[in-house]
Parts: sequence; C-alpha cells; structure tokens
Amino acid sequence: MSSHLHARLLAFALILLGMGIFLHKSVQNDYPIVPDQTRTIWNLEVYIEFAAGNRPVRVETYLPARSDVRDVVDEQFYSGPFGLRIVQEGVEGNRKAIWTYRYPDGPKVLRYRTTMMEENRSTPLPDSLQSEGRPADLPFQSNLQRQAFIVWISTIRRQSADNESLVELTLQEIFSPTLSDELAALIRPLPGSLGRLELARTVLESQGVPARIANGVYLDDARRRAEIVSWLEYRVDGRDRRYFPNGNPSKFFPIWYGLGEIVEAVGASEMSTQISLQPSRYAASTIARSQVDDGNFVLRMFSFDALPLTTQLVYRVLLTIPVGILLLVFLRQFIGLQTLGTFMPVLIGIAFRETALLTGLILFSILIALGLAMRFYLEKLKLLLVPRLAVVLIFIVLSMAAITILMSDGEQRIGLSISLFPMVILTMTIERMSIVWEEYSGSEAIKQGLGSLAVASITYLAMSNRYVEYLMFNFPELLLVIMGLCLLMGRYMGMRLSELRRFRELIGIKDEAEFPFKDKAE
Amino acid sequence: MILGNPFKLRRNGVMGLNERNLRLVAELNPRGLMRLVNDKTITKRLAIEAGIPNPELIGLVSNPYDMRRLDQMLERPNGVAIKPANGSQGNGIMIITGPMKGGYKLANGRRVVFEDVRFHVMNILSGMYSLGGLPDTALIEERVRFAGVFDEISFKGVPDVRIIVLKGVPILAMLRLPTADSDGKANLHKGGVGVGVDLVTGVTQLGMQYDQLVDFHPDTANELSGLQTPYWEDMLIMAAQAYDVTSLGFLGADIVIDVDKGPLLLELNGRPGIAIQIANRFGLRAHVEPVLAADTSKMDAKARIAFGKDIYRLIHEGQAAA
Ligand SMILES: Nc1ncnc2c1ncn2[C@@H]1O[C@H](COP(=O)(O)OP(=O)(O)O)[C@@H](O)[C@H]1O
Ligand SMILES: [Mg+2]
Repeated sequence: MSSHLHARLLAFALILLGMGIFLHKSVQNDYPIVPDQTRTIWNLEVYIEFAAGNRPVRVETYLPARSDVRDVVDEQFYSGPFGLRIVQEGVEGNRKAIWTYRYPDGPKVLRYRTTMMEENRSTPLPDSLQSEGRPADLPFQSNLQRQAFIVWISTIRRQSADNESLVELTLQEIFSPTLSDELAALIRPLPGSLGRLELARTVLESQGVPARIANGVYLDDARRRAEIVSWLEYRVDGRDRRYFPNGNPSKFFPIWYGLGEIVEAVGASEMSTQISLQPSRYAASTIARSQVDDGNFVLRMFSFDALPLTTQLVYRVLLTIPVGILLLVFLRQFIGLQTLGTFMPVLIGIAFRETALLTGLILFSILIALGLAMRFYLEKLKLLLVPRLAVVLIFIVLSMAAITILMSDGEQRIGLSISLFPMVILTMTIERMSIVWEEYSGSEAIKQGLGSLAVASITYLAMSNRYVEYLMFNFPELLLVIMGLCLLMGRYMGMRLSELRRFRELIGIKDEAEFPFKDKAE
Repeated sequence: MILGNPFKLRRNGVMGLNERNLRLVAELNPRGLMRLVNDKTITKRLAIEAGIPNPELIGLVSNPYDMRRLDQMLERPNGVAIKPANGSQGNGIMIITGPMKGGYKLANGRRVVFEDVRFHVMNILSGMYSLGGLPDTALIEERVRFAGVFDEISFKGVPDVRIIVLKGVPILAMLRLPTADSDGKANLHKGGVGVGVDLVTGVTQLGMQYDQLVDFHPDTANELSGLQTPYWEDMLIMAAQAYDVTSLGFLGADIVIDVDKGPLLLELNGRPGIAIQIANRFGLRAHVEPVLAADTSKMDAKARIAFGKDIYRLIHEGQAAA
C-alpha cells in the first residue's frame, strides 16, 4: 500500500518540520508560547447618551490622538442619523469626532469604539514634544502674578542643581497639599487637578522643559465606567517622563492633550458619557518585534511583524481558520457528524467572531427560519433556481436590516457586528436545508441544521480561543503540523463514532472462530 | 445499546465509510471513470452498447429548447420516470404512473398538472439536484412496471435489487423495498427496507430499516425471508457485465424487474452504501478480502460469478454449520 506509506511519510515530515521550527523558536530563542499578560490590547468604547429637543445638535468628542509613535486602527463609529466629521488639530495630533444633526428628537446615542495598545512609563513620547524646547513667554496677565512668579521661580532655581532637580522641586511645590501664597495667586481656576497641571506645564515650558497635559484612562483592570484622568508628560534632558498627580498607574492610555473636555455638546441635554475598557487580544507582536530585530533568520522568516498593523490583524484571524478546519475534519472523519455543506460550519464559525457566540446563534437561527419560510413561499411561484436564490439572499439582507433596526434602540452591539455576517453562506444553507426538508423530512432538515450549528460553535470556540490565536499568529509554522495531521486523518480507515451506533446490530452475530478468512486489512 | 464495541465490529469484518472510501473507492475506481456511472445518460449508453437491458430512454431535456417536446415525452400510457442525470440517492426523481384527468398521476397517488412537471424539470436543469449544483440534464425514461413477485413485501413503488460487484465479482446482494416512508423509492436513506439476498440462490433473507434489524415489512407486515428472486442468474450476469463496460472495480448495480421485459439495469453506483452489511447481517470485509487478493483480470463474467458464489458459500455455510 504505497499511497498509504507516502501519505504517512509526508505527514510526518511536515509535522517534524513544523514542530522543529516551533521548538527552535520557543526553546532556543525563548519565544513565549503563551500570550504575555502584560501586553494587552484594550477595547475602548465611548458611549454618549443625551436628549435632543428638535434643535440643531453638535457633539464633539476627542478620539485617541495619532502621533509618530502611535497609530490608531480599527475604529468604529455608531452615528445613527448624525453626520460625522473627523478633524485633526494641533501639533499634538489631537483628533476630534464631530457629530451634527439638524432636527433630532428624543433620546439619542452615539458610540465610538477602537482597540488600542496600552502604554506605560517607558513608552516613548512623540517627537512633537521636542519642537517646543525653548523658553516660552509667560502667560501671566497681571503684574502681580508676574512678580509672584519671578520670586517663586528664583527661589526654586537657587535650590536646584540642574534641570532634573528643578522639575522635581517645581512639581513637589505645585502638588503639595498646602500651597504657598505666590503659587495660590498663579493657579487658574480649572476643575480637578487641571489648574495645578496647567501651572506646572507653564512653569516647565518657561524653563525650557517641553511638557504637556495628557488626558486619558488608567488601564489597571477592565472597567465598565472608566474615569478620565489627567497627567503631565515632559521631557527633561532628553528623557521622557510622566507625572501622575492622581494615583500611580502602571498602565495607561492618553486620549488627548491640553485642557479640553472629552465631550462637548451644543443643543443636547441630559448628557451622559460613559467610557468603558475591556482587555482582549494579546499583542504578541510587541514581544516578537524585539526578538526578530536581533537578526535571527528563522524568526524573521516565520513572522508577520514586518507587515502593516491592519494586515497583521487580518492574519490574526486568518491563521486560526486552519485550526477550525482541523477540528471539522476530525468531527467528520472520526465522529461522523453530517453537516450541511463541507466547510459551511467553519464559515459560520468565523462569522460568530463578529457577533459573539450567543448573539450569533440567535441571529443565525432567526435568519434561517425566516429564509426557509420565504423559500417555501417562493416554491409556490415556481421560479428558476438562480433567481430564486437571489430573492432569498435579498430577503436575508432585508431581514438583517430589519433586525438591526429593531435592536438598535436597546442593544447597539448587534448593529456594529452584523455587518460581516455571511449572507451568501446563509442563502446556500437555506437552499440545502429546504431540499433536505422536501426530500426527506422537516425533522431531518432541522437535525442537520442544528448539527451544523453545533459544529460551527465548536469551531468558533477553538478559533477564537486566545491561546490558539496567539500560537497560530506567532508560530505560523504550526500550519505545517496541522497539514500533516490532516494528511494522517485522510488515511484513517477505522470506524467513525456514528458508525459504531449504526452497525450496533452487527455485534453479536458472528464469532471469530467461524471466520474462514483472516483479516488482512492491517 | 447505543454504541457498538469497535473491536467486536472489527472482528466481525464490518467496514466503515472511511475504509470503504480509501480501500475500495479510491483504490479501485479511478476518478476519471466515475463519470461513467455518475451521469445516468452515459451509463445508459454503455449499457445499451453492451446489450445490458435497461428502461427505454424516451428523451433528454438539456435546455429550455428541448422543453417544447416535454409534453410529448410524457404521453406514455404506462407513465415515465423523470430523473436528474447527475442525481443521487433518489433525489429529484419524479415517477409518473400515467395520465390523470388532464394531468398526471404520481407514484404516491397525487395528481400534478403539466406546469408542475415543467417546473420540476426546470429545477433539474438548473442543477438543484446535481452534485455541486452544476447545470444538469433531465432524463426521461419509461416507467418500470414492477412484476408482482414482491408485492407482498412492498408498499407502492418499485423494489430493486442491489448487487455489489468487486473487480467484476458479485459478492453481496440485497433487495430494497419501498415503504410508506420512502415515498415509492427504494433508497434506504429514505426509509426503504433492505433485505439480504442469498448470492447463490437468490432467496431473500432477513432485513433492515433505518439501520435496525426487521423481519417483517413495516407496512404490509409480511415476512421478508424465503422469497425467490426471479431471473437471479440473469441479474448476476448483468451486474458482472457492468464491470466490463465501466472498468470500475467497486460497483453497486441496481436492477429492477419489469412485468414485460424482465430484469432491467436501473443505474450503477460508483460509491455504493455500506448498509448492505446490516441487511445481510454480515461484515463486508470477509467478502472483500479474497477478491482483492485474487487476480480476476483473466476471468470472464461467468467465471467471476462462480468465484463470487464460492466465496459466499464458503463464508455462509461455515456460518450455517456453526
Ligand atoms: N424508470 C423507472 N421506473 C420506475 N421507478 C424508477 C425508475 N427509475 C427510478 N425509479 C425509482 O427511483 C429510485 C432511484 O432511482 P435511481 O435510478 O437508482 O437513481 P439514484 O441515483 O438517485 O438512486 C429507484 O430505486 C426506483 O425506485
Ligand atoms: Mg439508486
């Protein structure tokens, strides 16, 4: 049986090669094989709710700023009927979303979502901070203020040895619980710690230390309601520093710079803004990059780090699909599950990524049920196959739109996620189910439909597992191993689990002794 | 018992689908030849050329243009069978038993009008029942009127005999009976009853339905065993010849018996099901191994039949003696 041997040899070669590279990377190069907990990608969501009273409304909110060290990808806006504009302002890279609508009425909701990489105290500050490294004009208006400032700063200067200690002393004085009289006269009446931060910024700039106020969130854990906090970022003698007047965060994320409010609105009442944070994907790329840079050829060849971030995100998903396929092959060849269409469950499983499991299952079931009803109705009209498929597909799109609109009042999550639900697959599934329905029975069709959904859920769980995602993205050589396993399964000749049930009646019939021919299978 | 013990099943020589696919279908049926049996129009042509009797072909409809002659084709007093040329498992087959009040009567007793038949043919053409949804041809052939031999144990429709032919050697046979569940078709997936047939004598034995053993027909309650299949030798020869015309090493030949014309080859199957093991209450492997080990290339149809019978006798008489 040469094809048998051939397949086996190829399979083992692939598995050995894949495992070899994998082990080389993980053992030799200390490449972590489970996601690193400290490098997390966070989902940030800004949720703005307000009442509109039939007059023009304008809502502005800051979006995460872009800079030479930071790119913002994967942004989603839920604007409802509002017009949306995004503007970029200032050297700091501040960005604003501006939503406008002329005659809104009733309660309204706006949402913004993005994913971001956390920052910590060693994250470099952008170059834009440097450009202002010269003493700035003093912003103080009155003579009294100017004099107070000069008195105070000259004391500080006298007491400090260099820029570093000057900054330290300044901050210490400004943020001490009891203020000296000079400082009390200088602080602007701003909410929270902004007054002191702004004063600190002015003082540092006047001494040639570039500084800015950053507003953002602390990322110490997942929050439904995150608070906006402000801190100071400055560069002293070429070193990037941050000063946090409130708390002592290890991870944080600045959203905008300066004295603005996160949300500003005209024409809206009962405004409420909620910022939520959810840790999710593990950004192994940051770890990988540091290792790939050291010139290891093997590492570089099997790594996606050179690709743009958006492409990387696509591969993150793409590379998990073979895992789902592997599972599907196993379920078919070893368990004997019947599904509607060979790879259909995997495609549905991918769609579940967008909707999350439960929503996806509900959505899928509703759409299939509606589509089947439509399909049976169309049966009466006696249409040709392809036009009929087209009608069902359009009907599915309409149903999806209807569901989205119905749901949009309460739970907007579906609105955003439904977009990639695979309509064509749904249509083919409906067609197949209806044929089974006619040729066999309704219960058989439902059984096969549920079977496919079960397989889809299993493959989804496997594909969305963060360990699987991490492993496949960082060790794409595992694809060779998966391919080898599929080759091996392709030569599996034993019974499927379902056949053990199917042939259960044939158990007690014969006994070995009575067999005239020996089993030559293996 | 919910699951069978896999080791016992192995020992009893029961073959699963994975093994059938790898050892029989993939090894013995070259892909390029599968077309000969997947497309019923080709099978029919080959059978006619080789002189294997089969239901008379009335016409083919392969495009809307041919459709104009459809009503003419349906005008047969004994009715017609309309099948997708590339169909399988009985899907998309419409059996018209004759005219009925300006329309047509179907095998299940329902009346349809011409428009319904036309729509069905249209669906066939658009590939609704063919593998992979490719456009298909509708094949219209004379309806087989089944000789009443198995009337006691069938319910509406046409019973057929399935003979498994391995490298030209008939090794196992079963009689497939339509039931109320199977809607006049004898396909086991649809709830037909499979009855083991003694390969040597053609006498029916016990049966199965929905993978479960049955001894009586579920609708007529008559005993399944002990009936002689007429034309048994002719059937074996037809099955063995099917190998000569297709060169496929693993075949299932479906044969029906017409009142007037005797046994007719209905279709050939390139990947026959393995439920026949349950109908015969015996694993396939014991029948398969001796044939795989033998060289059958020099044997003619008669010799292969004799070889098949020898194997069957050896296996099953050893069985009877125990
Ligand atoms: N010409 C015919 N006359 C009567 N019944 C037929 C005819 N052709 C097919 N049938 C019925 O349809 C069933 C399936 O037909 P078959 O040709 O085997 O197609 P398939 O490849 O779909 O199994 C047969 O078992 C028989 O019951
Ligand atoms: Mg058939």
